[in-house]
Amino acid sequence: MNNRILNNIKKDFLIESRNRSAINISFAFAGITTLSVSLAAGGVPFTPVVHSIIFWIILFFSAMSGLAHIFIREEEEKNSLFLSLYYTPEEIYLSKLIFNIILFLSISVIVTVLYLFFLQVLPVYLFLFILTVVAGSIAIASVTTILGAMVSKAGSGSSLFTVISFPILLPVLWTAISLTSVSIDGTGIQEYRNILFLLAFSGVIVSVSYLSFKFIWTEL
Amino acid sequence: MHDKLIRIEAEKIEKTFAKTLLFRNINFNLGKGDSFYITGPNGSGKSTLLQILAGIQKPSSGNVIYTSDNSVIESEDYKDFLGFTGPQVNPYDMLTSIENLTFTSTEPVDENLMIEYLEKFDLYRHRTKSVKYYSSGMKQRLRLIHALINNPEILMLDEPCSNLDSKGRDILYRILDEVKNNKILIIATNEPEDINLCSKGINLEQ
Repeated sequence: MNNRILNNIKKDFLIESRNRSAINISFAFAGITTLSVSLAAGGVPFTPVVHSIIFWIILFFSAMSGLAHIFIREEEEKNSLFLSLYYTPEEIYLSKLIFNIILFLSISVIVTVLYLFFLQVLPVYLFLFILTVVAGSIAIASVTTILGAMVSKAGSGSSLFTVISFPILLPVLWTAISLTSVSIDGTGIQEYRNILFLLAFSGVIVSVSYLSFKFIWTEL
Repeated sequence: MHDKLIRIEAEKIEKTFAKTLLFRNINFNLGKGDSFYITGPNGSGKSTLLQILAGIQKPSSGNVIYTSDNSVIESEDYKDFLGFTGPQVNPYDMLTSIENLTFTSTEPVDENLMIEYLEKFDLYRHRTKSVKYYSSGMKQRLRLIHALINNPEILMLDEPCSNLDSKGRDILYRILDEVKNNKILIIATNEPEDINLCSKGINLEQ
């Protein structure tokens, strides 16, 4: 099974590397939004809470712009039956999940570096900040992977994707914003335990998605 | 690949879409060496019945039962025994034929077999081109290679000759003649030549 998951991930990276528009648009969106915020701020100092909110809003919309693509592409290019004939729903789900986690962590790295540099933010607890970005990104990728599959099967595209993602991601955003704020201003460090909430949230979503994916993916 | 005795039994299969009845009371039993055609006018449900037999769609009522040495195979495992192709089965346009075949081949990947099939279907010289540059006939040849390459026990072909020129049809018929005695072959078609390949079948018009 591991080899087959790797085959599918390799295939997705190969296709995306040859048809660069979708991935490049996601990276460009993340970069341009971060730069726009820094220009709009015009050197005005934000409080840590405002920094955290803006930072996670950028990450949320970056996810919305790119993470449903991996499933929508299979449907739009009419490859889903071909894929289903050779790979089990579980193999498909895990490979797409890993692809989305890698993609979104890459987007998060770009946003984080640009944000910290252009808005001149230096978190007091850098390790907690990085941990929050990683755990929050994994949680967002876990939710958007299964929702991307649903939206692709519903044939409704990215607008529905954003609408249904927001309420489910609200607890993640709430927790991530609070942790990011703590890591930037250095007060309330005892809240670091909320990292466990982000990781547990991802675990629950991935488990439920893994079990239910075949009912979403196969038209039976 | 599998030396077990595979059988397919269709039991009172019925399919309705909304309130429209497509077909009902379809019964047959197929074993190794049987070749079976499904024919009927456009919209009669040939492709739907083939997809039901492949486990891609569910019937409204009735059952499809696969057995291997008399033990029932779960529908999730049908794909291990099945080579299926049809107009809805599209290899990835951004990959080459070799990359597509590597993606769908069972482990370990046999490159010599891939080359052999690409040569048989006259696609070898196009092996490094992305599939998006293939003509519709070349895509159909590639679909057929995908159905055949894992040497499945059951071969299900939906309109196998669509878009094929006379040379492509000759190649396909030669290969099907070679393999049909060792497999269960099911073809959904309206082509008289495809029907003549088969020993029995059904007409969904009746």
